[in-house]
Amino acid sequence: MLRRERAHVEEAPGRGPLGGHHERPDARAKVSGSTRYVADLALPGMLHAAVAVAPVASARVSGLDLASARAVDGVEAVLTAADIPGRNLVGVIFEDQPLLAREKVRMVGERLALVAARTPEAAWAAAHLVHADLEPLPAVHDPVQALEPDAPRVHDAGNLIRTFRVVRGDTARARASVVVEAEYRVGGQEHAYLEPQGCLAIPEGRQRITIVASCQCPFYVQHAVARVLGLPLAAVRVEQAPTGGGFGGKEDYPSEPAACAAVLAFATARPVRFVLPRELDMQVSSKRHAMVIRHRWGADRSGHLRFAEVETVLDAGAYIGISTVVAERANVSSIGPYHVPAVRVSTRVAYTNNLFGGAFRGFGTPQVTWAAEATMDRLARACSLDPLEFRRRNLLDDRRRRLCTGQSLRRPVLARECLERAVALAGWDEFHARPRRQEGPMREGMGIGLALYGCNLHHGGQHLDRSSAVVILQPDGSVVVRVGLTEMGQGNLAACQTIAAQALGVEPAHVQVWQPDTTTVGDSGPTVASRGAHASGMAILNAVDRLRKKLDPVAAELLECGERDVELAGGFARVRTDPDHRVPIARLAGEMASRRIEGISTGWYRSRKRRFDPVTGLGDPYEFYAVACHIARVVVDAELGLVRVTEVSAAHDVGKVIHRDVLEGQIQGGIVQGTGWGTSEELKLDRGRLCNPSFTDYIIPTAADVPSIRIAVVESEGPGGPFGAKGIGEPSLIPTAAAVRNAVVEALGLEIDRLPLTPPTIVEALGNRHPFAWVAEEERVRGRSEEVAAGR
Amino acid sequence: MDVPIQQVIRPATIAEATALLATRPDARPIAGGTDLMVQLRDGRKHISCLVDLDGLGMAEIRRVDEGVEIGASTRMHSIAAASEIRSNFPALAAAAGTIGAWPIQCRATLGGNLVNASPAADTAPALLIAGAVLTAVSTAGTRPLPVAGFFVGPGRTVLMPGELLVSVFLPLAQVPPGCRLVERFVKAGPRREQVIAVVSLAGRAVVRADGTFEEVRLALGSVAPTPVRARRAEAALMGRRPNQETRRGAVQALQHDIAPIDDVRAPASYRRIAAAVLLDRFLLEAARV
Repeated sequence: MLRRERAHVEEAPGRGPLGGHHERPDARAKVSGSTRYVADLALPGMLHAAVAVAPVASARVSGLDLASARAVDGVEAVLTAADIPGRNLVGVIFEDQPLLAREKVRMVGERLALVAARTPEAAWAAAHLVHADLEPLPAVHDPVQALEPDAPRVHDAGNLIRTFRVVRGDTARARASVVVEAEYRVGGQEHAYLEPQGCLAIPEGRQRITIVASCQCPFYVQHAVARVLGLPLAAVRVEQAPTGGGFGGKEDYPSEPAACAAVLAFATARPVRFVLPRELDMQVSSKRHAMVIRHRWGADRSGHLRFAEVETVLDAGAYIGISTVVAERANVSSIGPYHVPAVRVSTRVAYTNNLFGGAFRGFGTPQVTWAAEATMDRLARACSLDPLEFRRRNLLDDRRRRLCTGQSLRRPVLARECLERAVALAGWDEFHARPRRQEGPMREGMGIGLALYGCNLHHGGQHLDRSSAVVILQPDGSVVVRVGLTEMGQGNLAACQTIAAQALGVEPAHVQVWQPDTTTVGDSGPTVASRGAHASGMAILNAVDRLRKKLDPVAAELLECGERDVELAGGFARVRTDPDHRVPIARLAGEMASRRIEGISTGWYRSRKRRFDPVTGLGDPYEFYAVACHIARVVVDAELGLVRVTEVSAAHDVGKVIHRDVLEGQIQGGIVQGTGWGTSEELKLDRGRLCNPSFTDYIIPTAADVPSIRIAVVESEGPGGPFGAKGIGEPSLIPTAAAVRNAVVEALGLEIDRLPLTPPTIVEALGNRHPFAWVAEEERVRGRSEEVAAGR
Repeated sequence: MDVPIQQVIRPATIAEATALLATRPDARPIAGGTDLMVQLRDGRKHISCLVDLDGLGMAEIRRVDEGVEIGASTRMHSIAAASEIRSNFPALAAAAGTIGAWPIQCRATLGGNLVNASPAADTAPALLIAGAVLTAVSTAGTRPLPVAGFFVGPGRTVLMPGELLVSVFLPLAQVPPGCRLVERFVKAGPRREQVIAVVSLAGRAVVRADGTFEEVRLALGSVAPTPVRARRAEAALMGRRPNQETRRGAVQALQHDIAPIDDVRAPASYRRIAAAVLLDRFLLEAARV
């Protein structure tokens, strides 16, 4: 199904593993089932945690009755807010979220009490027996309504959390002969990681604690646990467990279950394991933000963009979490990789009593990209240009390099290159040259989506943009690498292994990269923003540089050459000018060990300082950018409304390939997840309660729904991270749903401004153009006269 | 989480099983368990004893006089693969082959699909158009239950406490000389595979040489509290040729056969339209084949 352009890649001897295909270090254990995830871990005397949660979205807590929960056989502890030894607080950035609610419930699934018991069954049975007296309070479930003055207040200070802006040029005075307006309602998304949230807390008296957690950021967990237990950071050790998928869902959220397990472990002096059941995980853990995005964009007669106005509202849910950071990225990403002389963007973050919005692959960019690409197609049609030609006229390139915030992109700007490569892969011209099949209900379409992604952390999060590595040369020449960024399935172990092996001139198999542990490396920030390979790779390269200060003198002595002439490649230290004059690295390592020379070094990376004005939104929000273009081909059943994405052609500006299989895996995975978000994944809410918290009714793509995927990799010598590499984790997802939307619109010949494009959404959009629209009309006329009973 | 089951009993004979069910109100039969285990885990069913039907020899597909008999414990993948079913009851074979994923089809049984009585049960419309007769056994004896009256509501059937569904009999279709038979099962859902039907339709048409219908049977799932025969639509088609006018009349009549609701899977208005589409497509195909 996945067509690959697998090449040739036979590396020249000594060229190293960079860009190659060697086996991922974690592949065999994962495929054969020997990887031990949190749910596989057990310790003698271990207890199981459960949590009692609120069933309603907004209420005052007037009492908690724990007696029946405590009476359940096997229960060791039932705790409330009063039992937390440190602070009752889990907010990452803002102090708005308690670990356990005291007075007010603001979302379905708000924690009321914690239980530890000898079996998971007893723990959950007890949790269900916690009785809470909840007095209903008014709630708000629409982010736009939440910002109206008389809306029920989720927090006392009001529902507007923050407004971000970009104002560049004067959009009011821009001369545009063609103006389009639209309102897009873009739905959220569930991460659907295979492994639910979970952790194991192991206390050592009340002095210190170890947490083994499925997570993307052990340092966030460390901070959260230290805070609820009132411990110094050094007394909290967090080890990342092998993590079965994250996608952003294990960025900030794992701090919450970890804090729960830690409090229970301290209270009982026993190890406590907490694994969330899938339904609860889906209800309470963070989600991609639903957004309402209003556009007013204009172009001149020659099809050049003149201005863009964007007003976005994010549904943050009941607590901020990292919603403001998501909004910050969405805000500056609102107009895509296009040259627009005048820009006015506002992005507001609103509290509601809905699901908890948070990080999700793309971090606010997929939603605004979906809207921007929809508007580009609209404008193209309004200018009587085809969507490809309209984009060609407006894309950023080496001459016009100024993006939304006024930042000038560093060359080469590869948007045009990506577009043309994807166009060629997709056969755009051939597809549009031949007459379209119009017989029967099946309609074909092709659509373009482009994305501009700021790599690594936004200016506002610069303080977190650093990372740490440790490289240890063993006496046999093998190498231990420790980094602070996590493997969650995306391939960071393989990337770090490749980078270290390349830099040290050894076989990848001789490098062992271990999962992060807060006691072995410095705080490296979160594994997010497509920065894993970048941040850990840069720190590894720095550590290797420092290691060579100890290694090169020994090599020079053995090789009888100058230190500057030592080169590491193909498993040897050799003389740069005379590669046949060489000594195996294993022998060199042995020599260092016997001379008792320190074979360990640390490495550090921090991003460059940038200028950015948060008030005007002008400046350099990100250090460098990646561009991507996806072209989707769809077949739409215009009667049943079912969208089938048959093919996606993806061109990515990746800087430099580190590991070809990992790169392609990321692109394939991003496309599949983006297809699901765009077509079938819908979070159905009833007064803040998720009505489809299971894979029975939350519809992710199956293998049969995966399109045929063609990949073009665009490499360059431009700005980037290790060896010039740029992040791929998020750019791989961002343009897919937009391309699918535009393909569906082309196929059906009508605009659809709601995501996802489910069959009912499409049939509703077709309205009277549907051949059986009269059926629903009859139903409406007849009313509800017939007997109707409940469903399944 | 585990399910709250205290005991699993594996009877050797049907008589032993029915005796158990007669005396233990807390017992419930289990075959594939693909619905039951989920319900137990969710706390939707409170049962402490399971009676495992696997050892009772109820997993056979047999040709009998005038029809085919399928044991209630027959797995979906066996039904989908059986040549006896594929050639004589293609709608049933197709339905069995669309239930869940392959691992589910290897566990789920025909009897389980019927007894669970979901309005979305995929095999039910196929059995309705085949005029299947179910056989239930209890300590009180054996009784035949036509599938047409078997379903009472969501999750409810006419089976009485202690009664065990043991087999399903499907009479062979009677096709008069000169006529041809067209039988299909189709379903509409949100993706290509592993779909719980938003609407399903089984159709059987006996088409005369002149293109008119000798007989049409239609049954749908997920559009009413139970899987339903579409008798009004059938009547609108009898003796006619499936031209545009006839098809429109049938689609109109169909709306009175069904009573869909809004739920988490789709709004009622979509179900009505999708049911119309599936019927129209079946009739077009019946005209073409």
